[in-house]
Amino acid sequence: MHLQRKIISVATSIIEKAVEECLEKNFLDSMGIADLGCSSGPNSLMVISDIIDTVYATSNRKGIPLPELRVSLNDLPGNDFNNIFISLPEFYSQLKMEKNIGPEGCFISGVPGSFYGRLFPKKSLHFIHSSSSLHWLSQVPRLLDSNILKPLNKGNIYISKTSPGSVLDAYLSQFKRDFSVFLKSRSEEMVVDGHMVLSFMGRVSTDPSSEESCMQWELLAQALMSMALEGLIEEEKIDSFNAPYYAPSAQEVRSVVEEEGSFTINCLEAFEIEWDGGAPSNNNFQKHIDKIEKDNFSRGQQVAKTIRAVVESMLEVHFGRKIIDELFKRYAQVVGDYFSRTSAKNIDLVISLTKKG
Amino acid sequence: MDLEKVFHMKGGRGETSYSENSSLQKRAADKVNHITLEAIKEMFLESKPMSLCIADLGCSSGPNSLSNIKELVNAIERESSKLFERAPEFRVYLNDLPTNDFNTIFQALPDLYRELKKGRNHGSPSIYIAGYPGTFYGRLFPDKCLHFIYSSNSLHWLSRVPPGIYNEQGDSTNRKSIYISENSPPQVAQAYFEQFKQDFSLFLQSRSDEVVVGGRMVLILLGRNGPNYVDRGTAFLWEILYRSLAILVSKGEVEEEKLDSYEVHFYAPSKEELEDEIRKEGSFKLDRFEMFEIEKDTGNSSTSYGKAVAMTVRSIQESMISHHFGEAILDNLFEEYGRLVDEEMAKEDIRSISFVLVLQKS
Repeated sequence: MHLQRKIISVATSIIEKAVEECLEKNFLDSMGIADLGCSSGPNSLMVISDIIDTVYATSNRKGIPLPELRVSLNDLPGNDFNNIFISLPEFYSQLKMEKNIGPEGCFISGVPGSFYGRLFPKKSLHFIHSSSSLHWLSQVPRLLDSNILKPLNKGNIYISKTSPGSVLDAYLSQFKRDFSVFLKSRSEEMVVDGHMVLSFMGRVSTDPSSEESCMQWELLAQALMSMALEGLIEEEKIDSFNAPYYAPSAQEVRSVVEEEGSFTINCLEAFEIEWDGGAPSNNNFQKHIDKIEKDNFSRGQQVAKTIRAVVESMLEVHFGRKIIDELFKRYAQVVGDYFSRTSAKNIDLVISLTKKG
Repeated sequence: MDLEKVFHMKGGRGETSYSENSSLQKRAADKVNHITLEAIKEMFLESKPMSLCIADLGCSSGPNSLSNIKELVNAIERESSKLFERAPEFRVYLNDLPTNDFNTIFQALPDLYRELKKGRNHGSPSIYIAGYPGTFYGRLFPDKCLHFIYSSNSLHWLSRVPPGIYNEQGDSTNRKSIYISENSPPQVAQAYFEQFKQDFSLFLQSRSDEVVVGGRMVLILLGRNGPNYVDRGTAFLWEILYRSLAILVSKGEVEEEKLDSYEVHFYAPSKEELEDEIRKEGSFKLDRFEMFEIEKDTGNSSTSYGKAVAMTVRSIQESMISHHFGEAILDNLFEEYGRLVDEEMAKEDIRSISFVLVLQKS
C-alpha cells in the first residue's frame, strides 16, 4: 500500500494543475470524475478526496458555486468493491462536516468492468485519473499465449536480456493495441477540454529489457527457478508463464497518444520511485537517516509483500496455491540481496492529457 | 446502533446466502412482471429517451436484480425494434446500503453482458451498470436523471427501529414482541406507523427530485389487508420468530433481556397508509395499485415449506440477529422457526400480502 500511495502523491501536483485547468475551461453545473483501476483499501478514496479538495478550493478561489460531483470508481468485476463502499458513509460525513457538501452535492458509484473498452456514457466525464493500473495489459501478449507447446520466452516470466526479439515485439504490440483502445474509449466518454492524468510503471531507457523496468520480474523468475531446481515447481510452468504487464518508454507512450489523435499531451514526466516506496529525497540528512533505518532484509520483505498482493492471484492460477508462501519467502531474500548491491528503483511515468475539440 | 452499518442481506453464494434463498422474492416479482414491463414500456413510448436511466433500489446481492434488468432491457429493445428504431443506451444504477454484498452482483456482470450479446446480430445493447451504495431514505442520484425506478421487497424496511417504542429510560415497551402483535401496547403500533410515514415521505421527496416528469416507479413491498396489524400474514411470521427466540430463552440459550430488547425495523403498511403519503407528498400520481399473494410452492417436496421460509427469513435477518444475539444461536433458532411455521401451516395457511404500485411523476 505504501508504494502505491507514494506513486499517487508524486502525481498530486500534476493532478491539481489538471483539475484547475479543467475548471478554468469549463463552467460546470455537474462534473463527471472517474478513477480507473481504483482497487480496494484506503488509497481508493484518498485520490477522490484529493480531487474533490482541489475542485472545492478552485471553486472557492474563483467565487463560483461548487459543481455537482458525479464520482465513479472503476476496477475489474473481481475487485473488492464492498471494502470501499463500507467506508462511504464516513466519507460522506466528512464531506458534509468539512466542506458542507451534502448528499445532493456528491454521488459516488462503483463501475465494474475493464477499461480496455467503454465504461461510461458518451461525453459524461470531465476528469479521469488512473494510477498503477495501465501497466497491466488486457491479456498476456497473443503470440506468447498461443505458443504454449513451444514456449518463446524460456526461463523468463517477462521481458529479459535473454528474451528473443519476437517476445519484445509481442509485448510492444499488445501494449499499443491496449493503450489505443483505452484512449479511444476515454475520448468518447470525455467532454472537449476534459482532462486525464495517468500514472503507471514505465522506463526511461529505449531498451525494453533494461533493469529499471524488468528487474522485479527477473528476480521473481530467479526465485521460481530456484524452486524448480529443487523439484518444487516444473520448469515448463515457468517457461509457459508470461506476465500480462508492460512498462513502456515515454516515447512509446507519446507515439500511441499522437497516433490515436484525440488528446494533446500537457506534460509527460518520469519519476524515480524506490521499490519499497521511499522516493529518493533531496535532503541529504534524510537520505542518511533513511539508509540507516531500513535494512535490506526488511526492505526485501516489504517489496515482496507489495508485489504479492498484486500478482498472487495470477500466479496461483498458473502455479497452484501450495508454492506461493515459499515463493515469496525466497523472493524477499532475493530482493533484499539486490538492495545490498544497488539502489533499486522503478520509473513511474505520469502523463497529463486534454481532450481535443 | 447505526442501521446502515449493520443491516444487509446475507452475502456470497453459500447455502445460507440471500443469493441462494431469494426464490420467494423472485416469485413475487415474477407474478407482477407484466405490470413492471407495461410500466416501463408506457414510459418509454411516451418520451423515447436516447439514454434510458433505470434504478433498482434495494438491489441486494442475488441473481434477481440482474435477471430483472435483463427483462427490462429486452422489453425496451423489442419496442424499439417494432418501431424500426435503434434501442436507447441504458444506464443502470444498482442501489443498496453500503454493507450490501455488491461484489457478488458485480462478479455476475460479465455473464450478464455475454447473455445480452447472445443471439443478437445487430450488436449488444449499450448498457452501463454502476453500483450506488447509500440509503434510499434521502438523495441518491443527481437531479432529474431517472426515467424508471424499480424497488422490490425493500420499502417495508424502515430507516431505523422507531424511537417511539422506547421509554424515557431507553427500554423497549414492546417486550413481548419483536414487531407489532397482540402483546404490544398501543403506542407501539403508533410508533411504527409514525416511522413509516416519516420514511416513506422522505423516500417520495427524494425520488421526486431525481425522476423526470413522466418517469415511472414500480414499487413492490409487503403490506397488510385493512387496518388491523394482527393478521395471519407477515406480522404473524414475526410472531413466530419471537416464539422461536422464546423457546431458546426457555432452553437457556438466549438471555430473556436480549429478547425483550430486540425489535425489527420493519413495517407492513395498508393500502390507505400508502395512498395517504403519496397524496400528501404530491409529486406522483398513483397509476396502479394491486394486492397479491404468493402461492405456496408445491414443486419442491424435498424441503418442507417451513424450512424454505426459515432459510429465506434467515438470509434476511441474519445480520440483525447476529448483531444482537450473536451468531451461535442461528442454526437452532431457524430450526425451531421452520418447525413452528410447518405446525402453524398445518392448522391454517399463513398468507403474506404484497402490494405492487405504479407511480408516475407529474
